[in-house]
Amino acid sequence: MTAAGISVTRRAPRRLADRLARPAFLACTVLAAATLVAVAGVLGVETVRFFGTVSPVRFFTEVDWTPFAEEPRFGVLPLLAATAQITAGAAFFAVPAGLMTAVYMEHYAGVRTERVLAGVTGLLAAVPTVVLGYFALTFVTPLLRALWPGTEAFNALSACLAVGLMILPTVIVFTRNALRSVPAALMETGLALGAGRGRVVARVMVPAAAPGIGAAVFLAMARAAGETMIVTLAAGNQAQLTWSPLEGLRTLTAYIAQSSLGDAPSGTVQYGAFFAVSAVLFAVTWGLHATGRFLMSRRSRGGLG
Amino acid sequence: MACGVAAAMVAAAFLTMAVVLVAKAWSAADLGFLFDPSSRVADRAGIGPALAGTLWLAALTVAFAFPVGVGTAVYLEEYLPPGGVAVVVSGAVANLAGVPSVVYGVAGLALFVRGMGMGPTLLAGGCTLAALALPTVIVTSRAAIRAVPRGLREAAYSLGATRWQVVRGQVLPAAAPGIVTGSCAAFIRTVGEAAPLLVLGAVSVMTFAPRSPADPLTSLPTQVFAWSTRSQQDFAAVAAGAGVALLLVLLVMNLVARVVRRRLQGVSA
Repeated sequence: MTAAGISVTRRAPRRLADRLARPAFLACTVLAAATLVAVAGVLGVETVRFFGTVSPVRFFTEVDWTPFAEEPRFGVLPLLAATAQITAGAAFFAVPAGLMTAVYMEHYAGVRTERVLAGVTGLLAAVPTVVLGYFALTFVTPLLRALWPGTEAFNALSACLAVGLMILPTVIVFTRNALRSVPAALMETGLALGAGRGRVVARVMVPAAAPGIGAAVFLAMARAAGETMIVTLAAGNQAQLTWSPLEGLRTLTAYIAQSSLGDAPSGTVQYGAFFAVSAVLFAVTWGLHATGRFLMSRRSRGGLG
Repeated sequence: MACGVAAAMVAAAFLTMAVVLVAKAWSAADLGFLFDPSSRVADRAGIGPALAGTLWLAALTVAFAFPVGVGTAVYLEEYLPPGGVAVVVSGAVANLAGVPSVVYGVAGLALFVRGMGMGPTLLAGGCTLAALALPTVIVTSRAAIRAVPRGLREAAYSLGATRWQVVRGQVLPAAAPGIVTGSCAAFIRTVGEAAPLLVLGAVSVMTFAPRSPADPLTSLPTQVFAWSTRSQQDFAAVAAGAGVALLLVLLVMNLVARVVRRRLQGVSA
């Protein structure tokens, strides 16, 4: 009942609805834009105010983050390094596993297996991150401590594994999309020339999908960098520079979540620090996300070069 | 084959997580747990207030973000002429879709809790979660609207339909299944969020079920977090129980979306 839905007889009410429709939709747009501008604006304003008291140079070069100490220090580097470590660690686990799973689903699995794996991916994507954080804290960490007795109760490795699990669906879904956009004729040509399936997949299909796979990696890393609950629960709250994955650390996100901000009075420099940390986090995730979207747009333009 | 092994490992990791969660939740499972208020004693702790809080938050988020998001998508796709403004708005929306949820929490604290004086209430939580869901709802709704064939619009216009009639009679019915599916995915992710609510100042021990949006902010995700941070063994069980309850709420949301979608497809077919 597509075209039949248009009635030509009810003239009067239609005119009114017609006149109201545009302003109503415009009002929605203005409200949405105002909300999003306010979100970005309040971050910007408070961050600028914070940098009025704390020099940005010291903020980005000092290595002590002790905002509530007698003599507060605001060196964001330990937090930033921790975010980078967690993001890289999560990608280290999730990218190979996700990439290979996507390849398996697209090029090897039967219809039924593929459907099961797609279902698992969908369910995993719907699991709240706080539940994954609980899993990391109560299952992964004890396991790691049994394997390596020196492991701290809060450690980066456990968080990396759980964040890796969290970003797996992102890697799988976007990689599958990328693989699917490669013309099937390439596969058939390769097979017809006598190459084995594995060879065609590794030498032709995956390279042809490279920009899209790159997009999958960056979008997943953007999610990992912004992840809060897993790192808050599993990685602890020591703002320190360390290379050991078995020690605790504190990311940008964990600092924001743990400091029970609700209690910090407005206008103090500690309150401003939350916005400055949020702005840094915003910049990091924006960079990763924008790179991902850029690669995605290159994919849609096609081109196998 | 290496790829098959990787796929099996992914499935195994997910199964392990599900089994661990349910096994740990097992001892907490009884009917009282569903309705009892939160408590400092693990044995007496229940998720009544947290469950009610999450249902409130889900309702508020959908009520705010769905109409505004879909309305914005319709305006951008069907009314706004392509060009400068459209590019700026869609660029801004796409950029904000990738911002971490905890950042929305910080902004929500400044805007809703302090700026508008809502305090740490369910209303402030709903507004913050709605702002968080908004970019995704707009992006997926726009994609669904854009997927409606041009010919459908042109046929309606050529029969003398006005713009509103085309939107109401052709575009929205055809795009509805896609809009519902995409928005629901966004809402499921949003309702499971703990980080922004934690920043707004969610309470972890609440003795009564919230009755209005002006009541204190409490939710299942923040309850899972609060109980997870307690070291005593028995709190591990109630935390898992609250986690399972949260997953069930999200599952029900997904089922409702599926039913709605099937209905819409039946109508437009």
